[in-house]
Amino acid sequence: MLHFDEITIRTSSRTLVDKVSLNVQPGEWHALVGQSGSGKSLLSRSAGQLLPPGLSAEGSILLEGTDLLGLKRSNLRSLLGRRMSYIFQDYQAAFAPFRTIGQHFREAIATHDKQRLREAPDRTSAALESVGLEGSLASRYPFQLSGGQLQRASIALALLFSPDVLIADEVTTALDSVSGHRVLSLLNRLRLETGCSILFITHDWRHVRRYTDRIAVMKDGRIVESGGTHRVLDHPRHEYTRRLIAAAPVLSRLPSGLQEAQP
Amino acid sequence: MSNPLLCVEQLSKRYASGKLAIDEVSFQLGRGESLGLVGESGCGKSTLARCLLRLEPVSSGTIIFKGQPVQQLTEKQLNPYRRDMQMVFQNPAAALNPRLRIRDSLLDPYKQYSSQMQHSYFSCTSRSAFVTELLEAVELSPSLSGCYPHELSGGQKQRVTIARAVSIEPALIVLDEPTASLDVLSQGAILTLLEHLQRNLKLAYLFISHDLAAVSRMCSRMLVMREGTFVDSFSRQMMFAEDRHPYTKELISIF
Amino acid sequence: MIRLFKQPQTAMRYKLQLGTAVLTAALLLFLYIYTAFVLRHDSTLTNLSIRLQGSSLMHPLGTDHLGRDVLTRLMLGGRQTVGYSLLALAAALLIGTASGMIAGFKGGWLDRIFMRIADGFLAFPDMIVVIVLSGLLGPGLHSMITAIVMVKWVSYARVVRTTVITESRQDYMLAARINGLSPANMLSRHLLPHVAGQVLVLASLDLGKVILLISSLSYIGLGVQPPTPEWGAMLNDSRPYFQLAPQLMLYPGLAIVLLVLSVNMLGDYLRDYFDVKKEVRV
Repeated sequence: MLHFDEITIRTSSRTLVDKVSLNVQPGEWHALVGQSGSGKSLLSRSAGQLLPPGLSAEGSILLEGTDLLGLKRSNLRSLLGRRMSYIFQDYQAAFAPFRTIGQHFREAIATHDKQRLREAPDRTSAALESVGLEGSLASRYPFQLSGGQLQRASIALALLFSPDVLIADEVTTALDSVSGHRVLSLLNRLRLETGCSILFITHDWRHVRRYTDRIAVMKDGRIVESGGTHRVLDHPRHEYTRRLIAAAPVLSRLPSGLQEAQP
Repeated sequence: MSNPLLCVEQLSKRYASGKLAIDEVSFQLGRGESLGLVGESGCGKSTLARCLLRLEPVSSGTIIFKGQPVQQLTEKQLNPYRRDMQMVFQNPAAALNPRLRIRDSLLDPYKQYSSQMQHSYFSCTSRSAFVTELLEAVELSPSLSGCYPHELSGGQKQRVTIARAVSIEPALIVLDEPTASLDVLSQGAILTLLEHLQRNLKLAYLFISHDLAAVSRMCSRMLVMREGTFVDSFSRQMMFAEDRHPYTKELISIF
Repeated sequence: MIRLFKQPQTAMRYKLQLGTAVLTAALLLFLYIYTAFVLRHDSTLTNLSIRLQGSSLMHPLGTDHLGRDVLTRLMLGGRQTVGYSLLALAAALLIGTASGMIAGFKGGWLDRIFMRIADGFLAFPDMIVVIVLSGLLGPGLHSMITAIVMVKWVSYARVVRTTVITESRQDYMLAARINGLSPANMLSRHLLPHVAGQVLVLASLDLGKVILLISSLSYIGLGVQPPTPEWGAMLNDSRPYFQLAPQLMLYPGLAIVLLVLSVNMLGDYLRDYFDVKKEVRV
């Protein structure tokens, strides 16, 4: 579905992403786990040519056979949001503060589906309802919504045209664990309904372990370990993965003494 | 608890807008104990922390710290009690003045309270030796003392704010989401550091977080807060008991 | 993210700015010493026999309509202009910073009163206030400086107040309160470093404007009174001889332009200098 092939991103002095290959299968939830500065966000952004100015990616990124890195900006624009969507950590920046939620949806429909612009209000409220928000929120301004609501709205916007791939970059990091959990279970439901695949970038594997099919662990611009979720989390092979797992406390029904005794 | 360190009775906080942020909460915290306070954002847990430290005025109720009601004291009268309560903030980048070097930030509390300190853990023969000792206590290189905060990573910054909080050997530290803005590896390291310091310095913690897993690792007793009130209170052993509040069960199900 | 790039131009520009400023200052100093100790002309002594002369060894920039040495007058005038600008700015800076810090930190009615006064001053354009005040207090240096201070303190007070208010909301100010710092300590230790950089940069940029203001006031006869040399006044004096000796207008004009330019450079440099986070971030 989405295939990263030997992607390298470097500045004049440093290699930030070093020949990383990653393959997201149709309909799967693929997690990319790593610390800040590991290059995971750069890798995910390279697919939409969203890298910061001065950086460019070498290698190839195929979305069902289309090479994204070779595409012209105009072709890429028509593809972004329709076949491949992004959601980001900073949900507040995803919406312009002086325009209503509905206006944002209308703009997206005007960009990708101009013929059906007349149905925009209906589609907007349907999309908002699919993420568990009231359709009437369309007339609200972003600051009138809570963080969790805004992140839901940004998911609704990202999934408006049923994309094949959704790239979610730290979408739960800025939310507390309760709202984060609700957003994740919503994403999972929508994935099962629409069949889109999700590339999920996170630093905290605890959030996603119950949803993901596969996990890739990234460190210093390289993928150090990847495989099925259970294989990686239960039988980590790489030292770094072990450290990641040991660092995050999980609730277990074991008496706490036993839990603390583990290395 | 016969002689608790902190005793809060029917504390309420109403904002100027009329919204009730905290609704008659009561709890006690013993010396050297760590108490967890769990809840989602907007439940009033951070407001509670600020009220306890008298950073915000309370609307009604009593806060008894070391046997003294502190809720009505003026800033001056509060000074002897301030020495014994410290706070670690969620966002270490905001909790350090970007224009001050690390050593100057670290020495802030020391300058105010050095005369009242017992020096039971930190020997502090001179200021620079004290800074070195503090940085080593939080497992940072002493060479960082001349840096500005922006030259440090998030985890390092949080270690500095922790060092600042423990520097005057307080009785209580309120930890307001100390790990929320850090990545997983730093989170784990910070929790280990906090446990370590608690043992050495005999600190009491009020650990505020939305991360039940982290709280249950640190604290033997936990309070669950929702919309300004405590809905549940339990010890670590009883966390998975059947009679837990439904909201607690929902929190548990996340992790 | 971590610092990825150090932009080479930034470092270059940085050095260039400083270099130009230092070079200009050195040149001016040299000229000043040269006129004061080598040429030793009297700036106010008139000698009509040598009026409106061109450049010569004794008079490098020639003489004016009353036979006075232009370079000497230019140098002394510069000393006046820069000196009084600095004086006026320093006073405005102190008043503005102090009032802005107190107003922003204390808040409440004190803040409201301060800001209403500031709004009152802001309602009038700089130039008009200065002209009216000079008119009321009588033309001369003291009234000009008073007028400049009254006009300029407002902008500093407002900038300082805004910074103090935003920074006071940061967690580190809460930490300072927890650590028992007195308000005076919080202001001087935690807030002054934030404010100082900003205000100094602002002041150095304002210096150019104030120099222009003093010169233009003198030009229209409200500032420095003859025969004291001052650039604006020199421009005014040489107006009638524009066709005979255009260089008389050119020199003080050029001096003003050069000084304002180099002061602005200095301002740019200061802005970079006080920016703790110099590196460009991605």
